[in-house]
Amino acid sequence: MKEVLAIIQMNKMEATKNALDVIGIPAITAYKVTGRGKQKGLQIPHPTPSTSSSSLEPSSQKRMSYIPKRMISVMVEDEFVPAVVAVITKVNRTGNYGDGRIFVCPVDESVRIRTGERGNEAIT
Amino acid sequence: MGCCRMRMIRAIIRPEAVDRVADNLEAGGFTALTRIEVFGRGKQKGIKVGDMVYDNLPKTMLMMVVDDDKLEGAVKIIEDSARTGNIGDGKIFISAVEEAYTIRTGARGL
Repeated sequence: MKEVLAIIQMNKMEATKNALDVIGIPAITAYKVTGRGKQKGLQIPHPTPSTSSSSLEPSSQKRMSYIPKRMISVMVEDEFVPAVVAVITKVNRTGNYGDGRIFVCPVDESVRIRTGERGNEAIT
Repeated sequence: MGCCRMRMIRAIIRPEAVDRVADNLEAGGFTALTRIEVFGRGKQKGIKVGDMVYDNLPKTMLMMVVDDDKLEGAVKIIEDSARTGNIGDGKIFISAVEEAYTIRTGARGL
């Protein structure tokens, strides 16, 4: 079992949920989070991927340190991980900074509370 | 894909310590982080004020993923900047991350 944690743009939630539903993974948990990445939040003026890295120096005052995002957590069996990563990447990629990140983490056990099922049975 | 080359740090800290921790992390080269507002209690079962027990204390969870060799440094920074010496300073948890992807490029790794 793995947990796929994806931090994505807020406005991609619906599309992401729908796309995961299509490949048979409707169950997700979503968190409202804020955060920043390598670009140190939202700089003004906002850098684009084409600008050189030297222009990413902190313009200390003019920036938004925490950007609102959504984090979704998808628990899947090991063999579905590549598919889930591919779908999330495809739906969320715009090519701009802030598209987000995906982390894959190991999960040791899961329990369906209603029935007491454990392991992979609990997440299928 | 070697196992555990990256680690996830989840630090549950005082909300008022967040800016200090984040600034120090940034100074230490760890810019990227995610913050989540959470509620919880610890060993002391919350705080008791007179007859009232508050056991859903607001905290902030900072989540970041770092390479293994930078783990100690990051944890040290969080520890030192979040510590006040009082009960409720929080906890830091570290867990394994097997893969990381940047959605914009599809590239693997941090």
